[in-house]
Amino acid sequence: MYNFLFYFLIEVFGIFFMILSFSVIIVYLLIMILSALEMRDFLKKNKFADYQDIITSPIAPGVSILAPAFNEASNIVQNAKSLMSLHYGRFEVIIINDGSKDETLQKLIDAFELKKTDYAFEPEIETQAIRGIYKSPNKSYRRLIVVDKENGGKADALNAGINISQMELLACIDVDCILSSDSITRMVRPFMEETNKKVIAVGGAIGIANNCDVKDGTVTKYRAPESSLGRFQVVEYCRAFLMGRMAWSRINGLMLISGAFGFFKRDLVMAVGGYFPKTVGEDMELVVRMRRYMEEKKIPYKVSFIPDPLCWTEVPEDEDILSRQRNRWMRGTIETLQLHRKIGFNTRFGILGTISYPFWSIFEKFAPILELVGLLYTLVLVLIGDFSALYFMALLLMVFLLSMLVSSFSVLYEQIAFNNYKDKKDLKRLIWLILLEPFIIHPKVVLWGLRGHIDFIIGKGGWGKMIRTGFKTAEDRKNINSQSNTV
Amino acid sequence: MLKRSFILFLFFCSSLDLYSQGVRDILPDSVSLVEELKNHAYIPNLSYRIQVLGEELPESQQVIDSTFLWTRNERGYLSPDFENGAQLESLVSEIPENSVELQFYVFGEKSSIDGVYRFLETLVDTGDFVYAQNQKSTDRDLVLIANRYHYQPIEAYKNLLLSDNQLFGVTLINVFFVLAAVSMIIFMLIFKKRRNQREEQIKDFENEIIGPLTSLLFEKSVDQINEMSKAEADAIFQDGIIQRKLFKIVLIDKIIGLNKKMKGDFKDKLKLLYQKFGLIEITRQNLEHRKWEKIARGLVQVNEMDLKMLLPLVKEHVNSSNFHVRSLAGATLLNIAEKVDLNFLRDQNYPLSDWQQMHYLRIIKYIAPSKSLQISKLFGSTNQSVREFGFKLVRMLGRVDLIQELHEINEKVSLEERVELIKTYDSLGAHMEVDFINSCMKSNHPELKKEAIKCAGNLGNEESEDIIILLITENPEFKIRKILLNSLLKLNPARFEQFVSDFPMEENLKIKAHLFDPVLSHV
Repeated sequence: MYNFLFYFLIEVFGIFFMILSFSVIIVYLLIMILSALEMRDFLKKNKFADYQDIITSPIAPGVSILAPAFNEASNIVQNAKSLMSLHYGRFEVIIINDGSKDETLQKLIDAFELKKTDYAFEPEIETQAIRGIYKSPNKSYRRLIVVDKENGGKADALNAGINISQMELLACIDVDCILSSDSITRMVRPFMEETNKKVIAVGGAIGIANNCDVKDGTVTKYRAPESSLGRFQVVEYCRAFLMGRMAWSRINGLMLISGAFGFFKRDLVMAVGGYFPKTVGEDMELVVRMRRYMEEKKIPYKVSFIPDPLCWTEVPEDEDILSRQRNRWMRGTIETLQLHRKIGFNTRFGILGTISYPFWSIFEKFAPILELVGLLYTLVLVLIGDFSALYFMALLLMVFLLSMLVSSFSVLYEQIAFNNYKDKKDLKRLIWLILLEPFIIHPKVVLWGLRGHIDFIIGKGGWGKMIRTGFKTAEDRKNINSQSNTV
Repeated sequence: MLKRSFILFLFFCSSLDLYSQGVRDILPDSVSLVEELKNHAYIPNLSYRIQVLGEELPESQQVIDSTFLWTRNERGYLSPDFENGAQLESLVSEIPENSVELQFYVFGEKSSIDGVYRFLETLVDTGDFVYAQNQKSTDRDLVLIANRYHYQPIEAYKNLLLSDNQLFGVTLINVFFVLAAVSMIIFMLIFKKRRNQREEQIKDFENEIIGPLTSLLFEKSVDQINEMSKAEADAIFQDGIIQRKLFKIVLIDKIIGLNKKMKGDFKDKLKLLYQKFGLIEITRQNLEHRKWEKIARGLVQVNEMDLKMLLPLVKEHVNSSNFHVRSLAGATLLNIAEKVDLNFLRDQNYPLSDWQQMHYLRIIKYIAPSKSLQISKLFGSTNQSVREFGFKLVRMLGRVDLIQELHEINEKVSLEERVELIKTYDSLGAHMEVDFINSCMKSNHPELKKEAIKCAGNLGNEESEDIIILLITENPEFKIRKILLNSLLKLNPARFEQFVSDFPMEENLKIKAHLFDPVLSHV
């Protein structure tokens, strides 16, 4: 009986993994096709867009740039100056000092002649205590507002900034990001083009600044990073931004806008209660909640994506830091999916519930677990002598070729659309990395993802009970005191 | 059709009959069975023994006994177990029929004749037993050949790839991936090569164009260019090069690029040359193209080169379902039409986006001093976004003369539109609209209420002050309270001070501190 059950399970797993493999192939081929179509349309539309008018037009929306800073004393003044020099008419820069233990605040005060003000406001979103709001009497720095608050994490700092903000659009960025001078004009375009559907958020592509030349706040010369981890992230970012998000944007299924560079409608962010500070995936969670709100209210909406290289960031080239980042991303994904599990596989939520959520659940959240189970399954086959080396090698080759195809396609995209990596040596290094990635880096990424799962299970980070219960509606967030520690 | 079906049915029935024949039908008695078995050197799991009855072995068998090892038993002599049916003939032929007994063993167990029949039927069903008669005629029967060889260890010879469906599938995918990767690389190489070739050719053409075009612009007057024939114009370039499509495209881009940079007479010359070179035909083709990007390109060309003769074609696109086409068509009409009556804008079916409004506003601002604009036509549009744009235009162009017309529709428009009206009155300092502003302050529409309170701070009267005081006492949310107190301060500082001292709530004091903070004067 047990013997039968064992072999039955082996057979079931075999079929399951075969279906999964074919699904992966079909899904990635679809993503490649959709992203190609979207990129083609985007480039066509871009030819006829005149961005000059936006800078001075009274019709263009105002933008509040929110940049949380924690122990950023070394670069904060330069970063703030860079933000204030962006080419746009109506915008304000709100830097939120999130309880830094270094001289971040003092450096800002000294550099911009800031004075503590009697800024009167009542926080619509609850945050950690605000210690002071600073502005400069010098008109050259009229756009700058500095909020000094108790430490509460990035999401909490962003919420404090949202409370203070005055403009229609919120640009949530990482303070150490390098923004192109025309980044705002490009990002507000989808909001301005909206007619039948309300554009609730726009995501931007993030470039990798490691080893690149930067002049006047813009990357002037691209070079592939020196380390293989750095180059891996270049390929990964091409895959994620130029392929993945373009494809999702095509079917209006985007569930994630990078926390380093995203634009949101302020009224809607307020309506859903701002960022949820008790999840490590606050960027994804906010987008999902905003989308869920629109679906629940039955308002037609769109989440757009701009693939132009407008924002660059330094990525970690140290394995330890990268592993912690990936661990955090995985926990963020799990937490978001848990919080909004009501929408999963639910036709009431349209593409969000029937396509985006299942994709994230299967191909992102469970990906490392499935890979591990697949490995164990192979081991069991070897032990019981039911292992076909030929079949195994063919499958391995298939996975390798798929990975190579997808990565090459995304780099090809970059070459066709933007051609930033002009040096042939860089291209060769990227292609070499594509060949090696499945063997030297991917196993580590799987391991980091698994650790993320384990950390989530043992309750490291996250908001225990709340995440287990999940939100009943998108507006539930507003009823939750973000500072309480529900366990 | 029916006939064919019938024949197929008959064929099906006959095949059923063929396959339904059992062993007993073909070998009806034990004699025919034994005769059949004699033809088989080996039948799996079937063996025989011969029992000779009597005290002594027949002479013929005594010779064989030395090798065959008969064993003696109670009934006589018993042969050893053997599998070759052909031996039956040699062993039994010399023995009288009544003193010999044939024994069958199936799987080593003694079996009756019925058992043998059943066993053989099973073998026939599985294809492991083929009648000797059929075996002899198998040379040309592929099915039977296949049957005969079924027991051979063909695993060792057959194609493993084709026999395993899963492996075959995976291999197919791998082949697809390899082909896709190779195609992609080929595509990339071709694409890059073509792009480089095209870029080089464009550079060559630009070099070909810039010299003759510059000398023409500087050496010839507008009249001289106007008098040139097409042949004369074409002759400034190398023989026949202007007939090439890419050359024409580069020429268009070059002329448009120069037109943007140059001023005065040069612009007129470039526009004339555009027509002399026959480039207008390309623009016309673009406008009539099915692809939206071609139409958009044509619209840009019409706009930049003032190709008024193509305006009828442009008008066809003002209500296009494509956002970019209708935006560019609208902008082109506004820019180059002699008479800008804004009718096309009033009759827009699609909502006007901010992007379109921004471009139209820039053009309208530019042409407003030279052309008569009937902005009020927009107030009567059935499209709400167009009406709102009309109100914005009044505000942004400073058209105080249209306030009376706006006044007449104050109560007729929706609450969202009233927000734009209030902003316009605020911007133009329309004190005469204070009653409307005061009524809007009491609205339940949050945006309208907010804008009206703000506006009241600039244009309000005593009644506005009373409304503000009333609204504050209703304990509004902090954001509205701040706007209310700010407006009260602007309208009547003394009353503001009085109110805050009468109601020294923490909120009021905080707002007061904010309003009096010089650093926050613009916040």
